[in-house]
Amino acid sequence: MSAGPSATSGPIAPAIEGIKLSKAFGGVQALAGASFSASRGEVHALVGENGAGKSTLIKILGGRLRPDAGQVRLAGANVQIASPDAAHGHGVWTVFQELTLLPWMTVAENLLIRREPRGTLRLIDRARMAEQADAVLAGLGIHHIDPRALVEDLSLAQRQIVEIVRVIVQDPDVLLLDEPTSSLGENEVKWLFGLIRDLRRGNKCIIFTSHRWNEITDVADRITIFRNGGELGTFAEIDETRAVTLMTGQQVDAFYPERPPLEAARPLLQVRGLTGPGVSELSLTLRAGEILGVGGLAGHGHRELFFSLFGAAPISGGEILVNGRRVRISSPRDAIGLGIALVPEDRKTEGLILPMSVGTNLTLAILPQLSALGIISRNREGRAARNMVSKLKIRTPGLRNPVQQLSGGNQQKVLLARWLLADSHILLLYDVTRGVDVATKHEIYELMTSLVREGRGVLFYSSDAEELAHLSHRVLVMREGHVAAELEGPGITAEDIVSAAVREATSLVD
Amino acid sequence: MAGKTALAQFRDRIGLTRDVRRIVYVYLAAVLVFAAGEIVHPGFARLDSIAAILTVASFVGLVAAGQTFVVLIGGIDLSVPWVLNAAAILLVTSSLGEDGRAVYAVLITLAMGAAAGLVNGVIIAYLGVPAVVVTLAMNGIMEGLTLGLSGGMTCDSCASYAPPVVQDAVHGSLFGFPTALILWIVVIAIVSFVLSLTTFGRKTYAIGNNAKASYLAGINVRLSTVLLYALSGFFAALTGILLVGFGGQASLGMGDPYLFQSIAAVVIGGVYVLGGRGHYLGTTAGAVTLVALVSVLLAMNMPDYGRNIIYGVVILILLLLYGREEKQE
Amino acid sequence: MSTEAAIERRRTGRLSHFLGQNVGLVLALAMLVMAVVLYCAVYWVEQAALPGMFELTSTVNNTMSLVLCGMGQAFVVVTRGLDLSVGGVMDLANALAAVHIKDTVGSMVGWSLIILAIGAALGLVNGLLVAIGRLQPILVTLATLSIYQGLAIRVLPQPGGSIPPVYSSVLVNPNGPSALVYVLVVALIWYAFRRSSLGVAIFALGNDEQAARANGIDTVRAQVAAFTLSGLMSGAAGLFLAATATAGDATTGNGFTLSSIVAVVLGGMNLFGGRGSGIGVIAGAFVTTMIVNILFFSNIDPLYQSFYEGLFLVIAVVLGALISRLMRRRS
Repeated sequence: MSAGPSATSGPIAPAIEGIKLSKAFGGVQALAGASFSASRGEVHALVGENGAGKSTLIKILGGRLRPDAGQVRLAGANVQIASPDAAHGHGVWTVFQELTLLPWMTVAENLLIRREPRGTLRLIDRARMAEQADAVLAGLGIHHIDPRALVEDLSLAQRQIVEIVRVIVQDPDVLLLDEPTSSLGENEVKWLFGLIRDLRRGNKCIIFTSHRWNEITDVADRITIFRNGGELGTFAEIDETRAVTLMTGQQVDAFYPERPPLEAARPLLQVRGLTGPGVSELSLTLRAGEILGVGGLAGHGHRELFFSLFGAAPISGGEILVNGRRVRISSPRDAIGLGIALVPEDRKTEGLILPMSVGTNLTLAILPQLSALGIISRNREGRAARNMVSKLKIRTPGLRNPVQQLSGGNQQKVLLARWLLADSHILLLYDVTRGVDVATKHEIYELMTSLVREGRGVLFYSSDAEELAHLSHRVLVMREGHVAAELEGPGITAEDIVSAAVREATSLVD
Repeated sequence: MAGKTALAQFRDRIGLTRDVRRIVYVYLAAVLVFAAGEIVHPGFARLDSIAAILTVASFVGLVAAGQTFVVLIGGIDLSVPWVLNAAAILLVTSSLGEDGRAVYAVLITLAMGAAAGLVNGVIIAYLGVPAVVVTLAMNGIMEGLTLGLSGGMTCDSCASYAPPVVQDAVHGSLFGFPTALILWIVVIAIVSFVLSLTTFGRKTYAIGNNAKASYLAGINVRLSTVLLYALSGFFAALTGILLVGFGGQASLGMGDPYLFQSIAAVVIGGVYVLGGRGHYLGTTAGAVTLVALVSVLLAMNMPDYGRNIIYGVVILILLLLYGREEKQE
Repeated sequence: MSTEAAIERRRTGRLSHFLGQNVGLVLALAMLVMAVVLYCAVYWVEQAALPGMFELTSTVNNTMSLVLCGMGQAFVVVTRGLDLSVGGVMDLANALAAVHIKDTVGSMVGWSLIILAIGAALGLVNGLLVAIGRLQPILVTLATLSIYQGLAIRVLPQPGGSIPPVYSSVLVNPNGPSALVYVLVVALIWYAFRRSSLGVAIFALGNDEQAARANGIDTVRAQVAAFTLSGLMSGAAGLFLAATATAGDATTGNGFTLSSIVAVVLGGMNLFGGRGSGIGVIAGAFVTTMIVNILFFSNIDPLYQSFYEGLFLVIAVVLGALISRLMRRRS
């Protein structure tokens, strides 16, 4: 399996190196001359805030992206990794964060894609394929995934495991894992780390990213810290406070604004027994002036909760009260009319209309208020938009420029401003700091606290437990579609949230 | 410097600069085609010849108005040929060539077109079926209904002429302009106004660029979709009325060329086929360019089947040209 | 637990997997059974007898063109595209056959192969424009439909030409349902396709283009291949069309663009790609013919044929959308 001209380049050449790698996406510098290296027999963690460039680095090493500048070296030799196949040829295999399973194919077809067992006339032998898949899964201690099931019907955690298995069976020399644990429970994480340790013993090189400090210190030999597309150093030993200070560029206390005091306030939004696809019997109360955090493993119904509260996902049971009044929300229009706003995780595909102007994006939700007889008043539109640009300090060359010319943080502000224009009091913020640079992240935190000071309520989901712990008055931890734990008070820590999230009823592995 | 800012301001006022440039290019292309026609066939660019070509272009342009609306949201309307054809036959059979019944006939014909489009829109918007499949099926439905109900154009009333008022309205002239052209200019003004200055137009562009984000911004995407397809049916029916007024009688297959022509006009006019960008002003230029081009080729004795090939080749070339441009962004 | 019980449980597990993962195919086969039963009933009412060998023969012969072009369409639909040029390719194949095929073995075999190659080449052009030009399949094939129709009229301006009777009887033997052999061949082509690397690539592309590429699949090649196969099958469909009509007409293929989509939809394929079975499409093609037969016996004017085709297409897609919505809600 292994290949490469390693013999000529000396015994101590690292297994994999990235040298001064840069990559930009439409004006946003995702990676700015970042370097790092990892050796055989090493488990190497890449850490940093969301948007620090870790995923981009992994995609470059894995052959999914080509760098604008810089060099990748394997065992001391310069290589061009033009495609995932090329990476595989060098023994480099990746578990990407966006899973690459094919949804309407079976687990077996996915596990063995392009290596299917052949029978007569070189045709694929499906029966043997299922048996082989069975053997592979059982050999790794997985008994709760049926190789004949469609990937579409698996849970996110199951898919993650299939994705990992698929790569592990390739016997990689260098294994890259991008956030492999974001959807995994306690036992599955243990299982994965067992595999990783086995590989380390086999003198392989393992590189992974994670947000969970406990996991990182548990398994990693060395840690490289990233901020804003560059690396800040590699450490064998570093404590969490120092790491966070490096990742954010500030003292932790200064990075997260102080929580505004929460007076005995009236409830803005009450949810009782909400049930729908992905959500079951979920209840919560959001009060005026409150930041209510929502955490948990990926794939446990957060997105469904936020979208159903916004009328964009079906509800089959339960009730929703806004300002104490029972309401029916069957479309985003209904929700907006009730003062509810949703800022989705993917602002580029679900939030903004990228090619359209900043002004258009700002006023999209309030067009009826800016028009008479269906004709838009350009004056009123311009006034409303200018107001918001100055209020939220949105950095834009002009109102008529396409919103895609703005930086990620300013795009996020445009989206928030749209909802302030619509006079929304209940803000559903879904992983809004994903892919945003550290400085803007800080600005968004400030904005959130100033919004709740004005008496609004914020329901805030984040994949980053640290962020939830520091910003929220309370944190609800979701598991399998309902609230499994409620954490309260200023003493919440990221560990509390993670440990409440990973406790699991059923385990997928032995 | 001052001139440049004024130009920039002017550009800003109109909208996306590159799209405006593209429309200007299409108009230049139309002029070039007329010039080329004059060279290969002297007299081609005479006023009366230009007026005749523009009149033919107006029919294409009207069908293409509806096609523009649906393409702007990334859709397509393949039901144009037989909605148009059904409208033409419905007009003559319901009016029986009598002026007294003309208003009634025109109204029910337009309503029929809008209803066919409405059904398209409802199935596309509410059931999530691809527009190609729905509108292709609708084309078959209208074809079958037209053939069946008219007994293959053998019915007594099928041979009726369009009411004289309708014929006069198409053939007449106002201040020296053919009325068909004047009608087109009015439609151009209204459609441009709707696209550029109204909430309906704004929503159309928003949906075309990103339907999901538009929905999450509170836009009623389904309602807009239904209305846009209804408009497409309406314009196809309107063109059917004008064509039967122009030619006097209806015939089977008279709508067939208008599918390719309307799509070619939209594509030539720089409307982005995945939606969200472009303007009816471009489509109008596309219609003129296309009709002028075909006229030049016919003047050069191009055989009939050549027209089919030209439509296809023109669509492909422009898709390749504009497609490339999209990819670079 | 005894081993037999375990094996039994596993078998039922497999069966329920098969049913759950092939809803479209199962529905298509059920629809075919229903259509046959209904046809027999209508036939019984009209003729006081059950349909016999003659009816079977003419049904199979009349359906072969649709089976072939429907299968071609299926390859493209798997990639989540549509091939609107199917009718144009059939027109051209039909016209070429009527003009060139003479009553010698060499001419019949030679021109058949040439026409199949031309069909594949026309599909290749579509595929290259879509995959390398990165253009919308619908618009590309709409444009090439116009071009191919134009070329067909160029080859055969007026209906005419002729097909040697021997040729017709080899493809569509009027004396017995021997064309069933071809149906079997088409089914085997699908069976092999589904178990080939190309099949995996084309299905993976239809599942998720990004993910397919991340799995090292050459999606450009897969897309080009799908359109080429569609062209090839449409070419074959054009030959059968010519053989059935025994003469050429450069426009009779036009309706097959719609019909091929009807067959694919009735066959339970998902129009959003990555799911569906060509076996279902064969069933869908036969359902389409049975519907025409039933209408004929119900004394419905054949002028209404495209009305019913369109209507059934709408009903099928609407029902398909509703069923998948229901299933999603239940899961």
